[in-house]
Amino acid sequence: MAKREIRVPRLAPNMESGVIVAWLKEEGEAVEKSDVLYEIETDKVVSSIEADAPGRLAQILTPVGEQVAVDQVVAEIEVD
Amino acid sequence: MSLDEKNLNSAEVVKTEVSHCGGGCHSGGAAKRDMRDRRQDPNAFPTIAKPKWLKVSYNSAETQEVVELMDRYNLNTVCKEANCPNLGECYKAGTATFMILGDICTRVCRFCNICYGRPRAVDIYEAKNLAAAAKKLGLLHVVITSVTRDDLPDGGASQFVRVVEELHKALPESTVELLISDLMGNWEALESILEAGPDVLNHNVETVPELYADIRPQGIYERSLEMLERASKWAHANPLPQGRMLVKTGLMLGLGETDEQLRRVFHDLVERGVDVLTLGQYLRPTPTHAPVKRYVSPEDFDRYKEEALAAGLRFVASSPFVRSSYRAEEALRAVRNQD
Repeated sequence: MAKREIRVPRLAPNMESGVIVAWLKEEGEAVEKSDVLYEIETDKVVSSIEADAPGRLAQILTPVGEQVAVDQVVAEIEVD
Repeated sequence: MSLDEKNLNSAEVVKTEVSHCGGGCHSGGAAKRDMRDRRQDPNAFPTIAKPKWLKVSYNSAETQEVVELMDRYNLNTVCKEANCPNLGECYKAGTATFMILGDICTRVCRFCNICYGRPRAVDIYEAKNLAAAAKKLGLLHVVITSVTRDDLPDGGASQFVRVVEELHKALPESTVELLISDLMGNWEALESILEAGPDVLNHNVETVPELYADIRPQGIYERSLEMLERASKWAHANPLPQGRMLVKTGLMLGLGETDEQLRRVFHDLVERGVDVLTLGQYLRPTPTHAPVKRYVSPEDFDRYKEEALAAGLRFVASSPFVRSSYRAEEALRAVRNQD
């Protein structure tokens, strides 16, 4: 089973970081494509970040409340 | 803090801002904002917690097609440059608002994320590329805006004209909406744009006149109203085969305006012949921009909509995520059906 890294997307050209405000999936939980994995707050809004492939959420690396940089790995998903 | 320390700090902040201006913008050291000292003091920009309705979804894979298309045709979108919260939704749906005349603006407005500086030369291929990209996306209604080009004698009007002409050639069935600057009151330039035959002419008043000095210091409320009035008179005198051109404007809410001030603006707009109004929540693009004074609830947006319609506007789009081009096509069709 392959592991896939979930990285913080650049939601705007000047975005450097954001704060994770919620995880909507728990470790071990199955994930479908387009399921919301987590929510991140940036200057303008809170964005719900969707999974772009199905799998199982293997590990959450950054807890709620933590500031994360663009491209930082925040979780790992096991894919078939 | 001593004066020297303060100066040192503001010098550092200027440096940070230039790097902040890095998203596709190359204005170099030109970016300057007047409130750089204030960034040092967190109390100068109190942030209000974001309400529950201020949430958007984002899927990187689904926005990729539009991102790549714009790159390929060397085009800018205001969606990207303004850090629009609707980008994820619109790009996913295969739509975008084009921003012509480069990505560097000659004005510094305190609500806007677009880089300030000395713009580069006008791209002579832009109109053709834009029409090709719009065709590729299959757009039925094409919305084009620009940075403000006070450095050009016609404010960039001739480029708008070229874009409309190319779109009419490439997509004869599609409608065209232009969101223009005040052209510094160059009414000849305005007339050249109107003669090109756009279906909708939008010019945003942005906020109530009482806040212009702070929010839109290089704008003049009366000049913007005059532009809308001239466009409206022209539209009534020169009907297009498919129906009269509509005149549209928009305001951001949450900058500190009062209900009474808004009512006066609605009245002014009706008096000057404006057909369509957009009202949306102001969202601060970076901590150096004007703070959000309040988050207007969806219920209050509905109330403002009712008031604006009662004042005499023909179509009003009003909700937190409404932007100038939001439901633009629907507004056009709805008003044309009323005529």
